[in-house]
Amino acid sequence: MLKKVLISVGILGAIGIIIAVSMFYMPHRDVLSASADLEVQSSELVKEFLTNASSANEKYLSDDGDSKILNVSGRIESISEDGLGQKVVLLKNKEDKMGVNCTFTLETNDQINNLKVGQIVNIKGVIRAGAEYDEDLGLAEDAIMEKCSLI
Amino acid sequence: MKKLIITIGLAVLSIVAFSQDKLITKSGHAKFFSHTVAEDIQANNYKVISSITLSTGELIFSIPMQSFEFEKSLMQKHYNSPKFLDTKQFPKAKFKGAIKDMSKVDFTKDGEYSVLVSGSLTMHGETKELTEKGTITIKGGKVSASSTFNITLADYKIAFAKGKPSTNIAKTVEVTINVNY
Repeated sequence: MLKKVLISVGILGAIGIIIAVSMFYMPHRDVLSASADLEVQSSELVKEFLTNASSANEKYLSDDGDSKILNVSGRIESISEDGLGQKVVLLKNKEDKMGVNCTFTLETNDQINNLKVGQIVNIKGVIRAGAEYDEDLGLAEDAIMEKCSLI
Repeated sequence: MKKLIITIGLAVLSIVAFSQDKLITKSGHAKFFSHTVAEDIQANNYKVISSITLSTGELIFSIPMQSFEFEKSLMQKHYNSPKFLDTKQFPKAKFKGAIKDMSKVDFTKDGEYSVLVSGSLTMHGETKELTEKGTITIKGGKVSASSTFNITLADYKIAFAKGKPSTNIAKTVEVTINVNY
């Protein structure tokens, strides 16, 4: 009887440890291989945040930071590079004040080698923050996407 | 005629000078570091938006909070959660302030200038005034700014009530900012 109890306790304990360890070492979400949750045009995305920021935050952002993976279509306004050497594509229609700032990764950088300003493209990535015009700061802030790849 | 040309020339020049008065970057770097006996935790963010106005010394930072990346996924989830920074509700931290001792800085001359920056930091829906040391660097006409300072989480009502995160995260975390305009 005692032996049985000990074995069951041991098994339960082992399961507990396995769950704890796997949670601790849980890998980051792989945005690149995940499919998009939503498809939206860059203008539309910007407009949603400018019209009602809290409902857009509710729609696009997640509590645990793993926010929506979007497939955003739009016109390339500019192509640049950040401090880590990651390519940054700004999707923005000519008539819009703000756009969607899409940061690629060192793995996906090469996908945009042949892209040109003015081209219409589809970019998948995770949204980090919406667009806003902060009057107090005097800053027009683009929506921000990271872990981007070309669709 | 000559006068007209000079006037137009001056007008164009002043417009050019004015437009370069405010420098903006969208890829600044922010890092925070927390040390406790249990563990060291750090996170990096390369999407910091910042502007500096050369004539007035005004400094602005806007930090998308979900862009902070941690080594461990679980830590990142804890950090973002409503129990801690609640980044869904408060997606950005913002700072608006100015360089206090602007007379020390010569934006036309290469060099490293130690300055004091004061202003208000809004994070997690709480706003606090702060004054911190920073460095303005001018190199080959390029302006950059950096600073390392401490933030007491309780000032911004950020705290885990209980459990492992409450003991493994320091009460005061070190923040490092690095931006190239």
